[in-house]
Formats: sequence, structure tokens, C-alpha cells
Amino acid sequence: MNTIGKPISRVDGKLKVTGSARYSAEFDMPGLCYAVLVQSTIPAGRIAGMDDSLARKAAGVLAVLTPENAQRLPGAEKRLSLLQDNQVYYNGQPVAVVVAEKLEEAHHAASLIKIRYSVSAPKLDFVAGFPSSHPGNHNGEPGDMSWGDVDGALKDSDIKIDQVYTTPIHHHNPMEPHAAIAQWNGDELTVHESAQDISGHRAKLAKLFGVQESNVRLICLFVGGGFGCKGPLWSHVPLAAMAARQVNRPVKIVLERPQMFGPVGARPRTHQRLTVGATREGKLTAIRHEVHAHTSVIEDYLESSAFPTRVMYGCPNVSTIHRIVDLNLGTPTYTRAPGVATGTYALEVAMDELAYKLNMDPLQLRLLNYTENDPQTKLPFTGKHLRDCYTRAAERFGWSNRTREPRSMRDGSQLIGWGVATETYPANRRPASALVRFKPDGRVLVATGTHEIGNGIYTIMIQTAADALNVSPDLIDAQLGDTALPPAPITAGSMTVASVTPAIQTAAERVRTRLLQMAVADSGSPVHDASVDEVDFKDGLIFRKLSPNRSEKLGDFIARNGGQPIEGIAHVEPDETLKQKFASHSFGAVFAEVSVDPDLGPTRVRRVTAVYDVGKVLNEKTARSQFIGGIVWGIGLALHEDSHMDARTGRIVNENLADYHVPVNADIGEIDVSAIDIADTHLNPLGARGIGEIGITGTAAAVANAIYHATGKRIRDLPITPQKLIA
Amino acid sequence: MIPRSFEYSAPGTLDEAVALLQKLGSDAKILSGGQSLIPMMKLRLASPPHIVDINRIPGLDYITEKDGFLRIGALVRESDLERSELVRSRFPILVDTTSVIADPLVRNQATVCGNLAHGDPANDHPATMLALGAIVVAVGPRGERDVPVENFFPALFTTALEADEILREIKIPIPPPSTGGAYLKLERKVGDYATAGVAVQITLNNSGACTAAAGIGLTNVGFTPIKAVKAEAFVKGKQLDQAAVKQASEIAAGESHPVDDIRGPADYKRDLVRVLTARAIVRALERVKGGV
Repeated sequence: MNTIGKPISRVDGKLKVTGSARYSAEFDMPGLCYAVLVQSTIPAGRIAGMDDSLARKAAGVLAVLTPENAQRLPGAEKRLSLLQDNQVYYNGQPVAVVVAEKLEEAHHAASLIKIRYSVSAPKLDFVAGFPSSHPGNHNGEPGDMSWGDVDGALKDSDIKIDQVYTTPIHHHNPMEPHAAIAQWNGDELTVHESAQDISGHRAKLAKLFGVQESNVRLICLFVGGGFGCKGPLWSHVPLAAMAARQVNRPVKIVLERPQMFGPVGARPRTHQRLTVGATREGKLTAIRHEVHAHTSVIEDYLESSAFPTRVMYGCPNVSTIHRIVDLNLGTPTYTRAPGVATGTYALEVAMDELAYKLNMDPLQLRLLNYTENDPQTKLPFTGKHLRDCYTRAAERFGWSNRTREPRSMRDGSQLIGWGVATETYPANRRPASALVRFKPDGRVLVATGTHEIGNGIYTIMIQTAADALNVSPDLIDAQLGDTALPPAPITAGSMTVASVTPAIQTAAERVRTRLLQMAVADSGSPVHDASVDEVDFKDGLIFRKLSPNRSEKLGDFIARNGGQPIEGIAHVEPDETLKQKFASHSFGAVFAEVSVDPDLGPTRVRRVTAVYDVGKVLNEKTARSQFIGGIVWGIGLALHEDSHMDARTGRIVNENLADYHVPVNADIGEIDVSAIDIADTHLNPLGARGIGEIGITGTAAAVANAIYHATGKRIRDLPITPQKLIA
Repeated sequence: MIPRSFEYSAPGTLDEAVALLQKLGSDAKILSGGQSLIPMMKLRLASPPHIVDINRIPGLDYITEKDGFLRIGALVRESDLERSELVRSRFPILVDTTSVIADPLVRNQATVCGNLAHGDPANDHPATMLALGAIVVAVGPRGERDVPVENFFPALFTTALEADEILREIKIPIPPPSTGGAYLKLERKVGDYATAGVAVQITLNNSGACTAAAGIGLTNVGFTPIKAVKAEAFVKGKQLDQAAVKQASEIAAGESHPVDDIRGPADYKRDLVRVLTARAIVRALERVKGGV
């Protein structure tokens, strides 16, 4: 088979559009009851008293869990709000849970609970927190890293840019809110959860409740969008399990849209100071990227905005610094292209500013500072074809027709601007396992505990197995999202394909070898007594290579051999020595055209052209969707998304999708995406790097740079709303 | 995200509906398209004890021209306006207005009359109806009465309808020849509420001056939809040259009373009114001359 790279439609597409795909809240079971969260209404302090007497008496109520009566968990940790004490660390923190026969009854009872608080002065002023900020790390990588002599080089630089760029709090807002159904059977816990990391959540739940990991099973067949917020385990899941234990029935909890703005993560606010030095000719001499971002008072999360600055350009002196400010808000977390989306915005706008100061074409400046090696370690990249991305994208976009002066391009009364930015995202890979099974009915099952998050992984799994086994994709079924299957890593960091496909390939090779070994040993088989090398398996048939007519159907073979499935399982680890030999990143070039109404201020992104170097593209169709989705996120980051916090209460004011603006189809112009499509086989056998996040990186900068080109106004505070262009 | 429980009635005639309202008083809320009522109930911003669904009453979905008025019945959907040849040819300002309301799915359900009856200053039709000098026909136990739209919005989310009255029809005077109108709205993203919106309707006399019929309405820049009476008075009898347009738009901006919110600061919104008014007048003039 040769399905890799083809624009194959999603195998789960029909299920999704017909509503037959079952999401985590859509499982029914006998005795199912409903839990709702009661949330704090203060940002800091403690609960002085809680009167739940009316709630307990209300119709249908089965249990009210409060800090007073909740089960004490052996593995409780401060980062989760599991009713273990009276402390309140942020507004919207879960402080009680009501369980009732019906959802409406639980709602009503929750409204009857009266809480008295002892209020403390909250920490909500981000900038005022800078003096007491602290260092941190991101996924084990240190927040601070420098090389060369930045101060010295800046002093000697001909040209200098020194600006501050800011980005607001964002909330992920997947269409499917967080949801979980928890059910105990003795000491065994089963949870249907909308999650990006079923294995990780299983381990955490086991620890919290003091049971063996093997006693906990997580199931998640489809994720209705996650974008990072379903990576960590949040409080509502163990709370549902606590409730299920207490009432001894399965308990369902589904967060409401306003509840998505607080206790389940956010992209933190960033304040990024970029100091860039260059020679008169445009060669970078120094970059200092200093980031402040907030976290909660209960857990450190670092938005690693300066990380892309470590790989983007050849520069002898670089300093990247991150400081975390503790605030009385819910803990922020990974949000699509964590660190890189916000960081490339700041870096790539600073590069545009430098280009204008040098009176140089912004694309030319980037080519001038192109690096073939990782600028810090000097290691080569596993594959880097960014120069081709720039060239192809510039050509497709028509960049050579751009006039450099701001306000120099118009369409009627509209100002037109063209902007460019570089995109990047690290190529991640983690250990993963998979099984491939030949079934007695002649079909093939490919399975691994990964997550279908909209990425199209059901389809990619089938394509990978089809090619590895020489079997038509129509004969293959895929199964995922269950901790009973061989484990896969968290679906995040654009690493699913790079991690999971090698495990599927190895498992497929094993089951194929096993089948052929069994066949040649089987006296009833037409290939009996041949050597394994002389036989083959293709399109469901076992046959001799030299006389293909002597063949047998897979199903017939299995039936004759006891009717048991034949299985291959593989656990595959990435080559850890790769990091000593290579740096591995995806890159891309993105160009944007905007029109701005000069008297009213709104920006429309008329078209975006992007070309990516992401290694081998496994499915042209699902890849295209991922790129486009990323670009739309980038446009939202540039123009729309903005969580407004009430400075006194620490509540998000626009906790709904009418006031939290994300672009809709009608806001999006033409998007032209393509890929260089050269396999990066250093990273994995298929040569694929992940593509889930790179589309959002750079895009906001390309839009912001295009707005500068259109208007002559440099807005360094996202989102670029109409009034900022009129002020 | 689930409404509180409520009683539901679906009367088959207007008389039955009015009788129900008379009985239930302020406990009842009329459901037509549900564009605003359903989300408000879902968010529990409104919890009416009784819903009177008028969608099964026959004969209320008409768009007709009769006795010098364009008449829009209570169950005319926004998408009906977009599709009506009568409206498209004679009242492009109504097409301007309906096409910037929410999204196509909402417009298939939402009603034009409901857009007024809700009394929301952020709704788009009120400004247009103010500019057009429309008349609201209310029906109640005491029979029918006409309410000029400029008297229809006494306060925030409040209309001149009594608790037992139904907005049965909007009547818009058929304009004389040499009339043009336009509605312009700035939205932060497609489907959003107006940051600001302006409706303008003007008629020119034989010498090209603006007649007394000029109308200017403002969306979402005050606690009620605003009829910009000073700007209207200013343009009457004037040749609308560049200077006059500029002055009229500045007067209209002065009549707006916006507040700071997440869609922008008050000063910015006032300036939007100025720019949108000038542009709407220019567009209306183009339409007088037969432009689209």
C-alpha cells in the first residue's frame, strides 16, 4: 500500500458529522447521577462557614460534598481544589459539589448553598508583581539560558531595538467543555473523560485515591477540542470520582461555558521586553528576550515565550530570561503553541521593527540572519528547509510587488498592508506503544492509547498500518483513547504522529513476521515448508512470492489455526542520543495581507500564505486542516482573543463566547498553505514532525507587521482592536 | 445552561394569545424567533414563568405594501427580509440592517418585530426604524393602537408595549421618490453586537435639498436606541455637500451617549458615530441617485 501522504478523508468524519461519534459525556449507564460544582466568589481568603442545610433537603439531592465532609485523599496536592481544606486561592475555585438524581436538581440545590468567606487581599496586579517574580522552568527546560556577551554586544551595536510587547490572558474554549463520568466498582475506578492525556490522568487519579494504576481505567474516544486545556488533570475529575464513591453510583460532571474561564487553565498574560542589536548591514549582534508571565499561587506554570528566540536566527550573543508572577487566578497551562505563539509574536515584530530601522526588506533581514545550525549548540538540524519556505511562500504571495513604505498601498479607501514572519515549533517525540492484531474475520486492528483531538489520528493510524502491512485501509480498524490499550504519550506538543507511528510500524512488522512464521509451519497452508523470506502477506492474502497463486486468505488461515487473533505489540522509545547530535525543529514562513479602515479601525486579514517544513506530510488533507486551524488561531491571537479580568475580584468578565471573541468563518479570508514535504528520517522512520501547533506561531506577528505596513502604527499590545488603531 | 422550568402555551389565534397575556400579566413572555429570549433563559438572565409561543398563529408572516405603508408582520424572519424582492428593491436600508444581524442560522429564526419588542439598544432594527419613521402596531384587549417608533423605547430594555399587548406589525411609510437610506454598523467580528451603528434615511426635493422627512437613528451608543433629532433638524432643507455632511455627523456624534465597555471606550464610540453617520449619509445620497 502507498497511502502515506495521500489526501485521505478522515475515517471518523461521518461519525462526527452525523453526531454518532460518542464524546465523553455521552455515555449512559444504570444509576447515572449528576454533579455540579459550586465555585468560590472571592479571589483569596478562606471559607468561614458553609450552610448546606437547604441544599441537602432539596428534591433529588444525593450528596453535598464540602470541605467539612469530603473524603480526605491520601495523595491530595495543593494544585487541585479537592475540598481538603478551607483555603481559597482564586475566584471560581471549586468549593463544594452537589450530586443529584437530575442535573436540574443538582443545579437548584447548588444555588441554595450559602457560604461566608473571610477575605484576604488578593494579588491581582500583574505588573506590580514584577519585583517579587521568580524564575521557573518549562517541561524541565530552564527558563533562563544565555550565550555570548549580550550587554557588551548591545553596547557596540550600530542599531538597537528596545521594546515591550504584551499579550493578554486567553482561554482555550474548545467546543466540547470539560466532562467526566466516574464510576467505582470496589477499588476499581473507570472514568470517561474528555482528556488529552489518559495515561497521565490515570497515574494521577491512582495516586490521589491511593489505588494501583491498574485499578484505574480512563476512556476517551473523541476529544471535542482541547488546545492544551485537557492536558493536565483538573479538579472536577477527582471531584466526580469522590462523589461517585460517596453515592456509590456513576456520576457525571460537565463544566458549563463560564466554568471554562477559571479552574481549567488559560494562557497567561505575558510582558516581553525585546532588546535587539544589529550591525548597519543587518547582521544580528545580540538579542535579549526578557519575559514576565503570571501563574497561580498554587502551582508554577511557565509560559516559555523566549524559547523560540533560542533557535530562530544566527546570533552570537543571546539572553533568554523568564520570570513568573504569582497571582490569585486559576493556574494557567499549555495553550496551543505554548510559549511559542506569544514569543514568536514579540520576536518577529521586533525583527520587523529592526528591518524598518535598517531600511531593509523584512524578508531580506531574515535571510541575512539565517542559521543552518542551532545557534547555541552549533548542532545541525535533523532537517531544515526554511529557506525554501521563504522563497516559495514569497512567490505564492507575490511579496516582490510590495512597496516598503507604510501607508503606501491602498484599495479604495482601505489601507493595505503586507507582513511577514518566521514560524517555528520544536519537533518533540516520546515513548509510545501500539498493537496490531489480525482478527479471525480477516480484518486488522491497530490500537494505541492516544487521543483523537481533531488531529485525524484515527486516519493516520490506519494509513501507517496499511502501508506497513500492505493491506487496504478499508480492512483496518483503529482503536484509541483507552488506558486498557498500549499506552501513548499526552496528545500535546505536536508529538503524536512522531511518537505513535514508529510504534505502529514496529508492531505491524512483528505481527506480520509472526503470521508468516505460523504459516510456513502449518502443514495445511499452501506456503508450508517455505522459508519466511519466500512468503509474503498482501491485501489479506498469504502467498509464495514465486507462485502467488498458491495463497490463502488471512481469515481462513486463522480459522484453521484455532480461530485466535494474531497480535504484535511494540514499545518504541526515541533515540535519546539524537539530542547530542542534532537539534530538531519545524519551521515555516507566513505572509499576511490586511486591510484597515483608517477612520474606524477594524482590520480584516484578506489572505495568508504559509509554507511549512514539517518533514514528511502523512495526509495532505488532515495536515491542511491543521495548518489552517493554526493560522485561524493566529488571527484570533492578533485581532480578537482577550480575557478581561476584573481587577478587584479576579473574575473573567467576558466568560462567554458572545464577548470572548474568536474569529468565525466569515472573518477569515483566503488561506493558502503548503508544505515542503521532505522526510526527516533522523527523527522517526516515516520522517514526520508534528504539525498541530506551528500554524499559530508567527501568524500574529505577520498580521501585526502587515497592520504596521498598512497604517504606520506599531501596536505592541495584543489583540489589535479597532480602537487601538484610531487612538 | 438550562433554563428554569416554565409553562408553555402555543395559542392558535391572536385573540387567544391576547387573552392569555391578559390572564398572566407580567408572568408571560412572548416567544417569536427567540433570538434573545432563548439565550437569556438559558443563561438564566431571564426566567419567565410562562412562555406564550406565537409561532403557530397563522397569517403573521406577511411583507406587503398597503395603504401607503410597507407592513411587516410579527412572524417575518430576518431572512425573509433579505429574500423579499419588495424590500430589496424599495428598502435597501432594511437589507443593510438584517444582513449584519448575528449569523444566517439565527436570521432564519429571528423576527424583525422581535428585534424591536426586545427593547435592546444594541439591536440593529430600532435605529433603522427610527430613521424610517416607522409605526409599531400593538394589539391588546383594548384593540389595536399605533405607536410611533420614536415613542417606543422609553428606557433600557423597556418598550411602550403593555404587558397584555403583542407587537403585531411594523408599518413603514412608503417613501416619496428621490429617497435613499443606509445602515452601517461596526462589529469587532462578524456576528457581534454593534460597537456602534447608524441608520440614515433622506429624501431630496426638486432643488436637491433635504426635505423634512430626514431620519437618523443610532445603535448601541446609549441606554435606548437614539433618534438623532438635532442632526435631523440640521440636515432639513440643506444641500448635503461635504461641509454639511461633516457638520451633521458631528452633531449626531454629540447626540450619542456611549459608555466604556469591552468593545471600546466611549470617546472611540462617539467618533465611530461621527464617521458612520457621514458614510451613511453619503451612501443614502448615492441611493437617491439610483446607486446600490
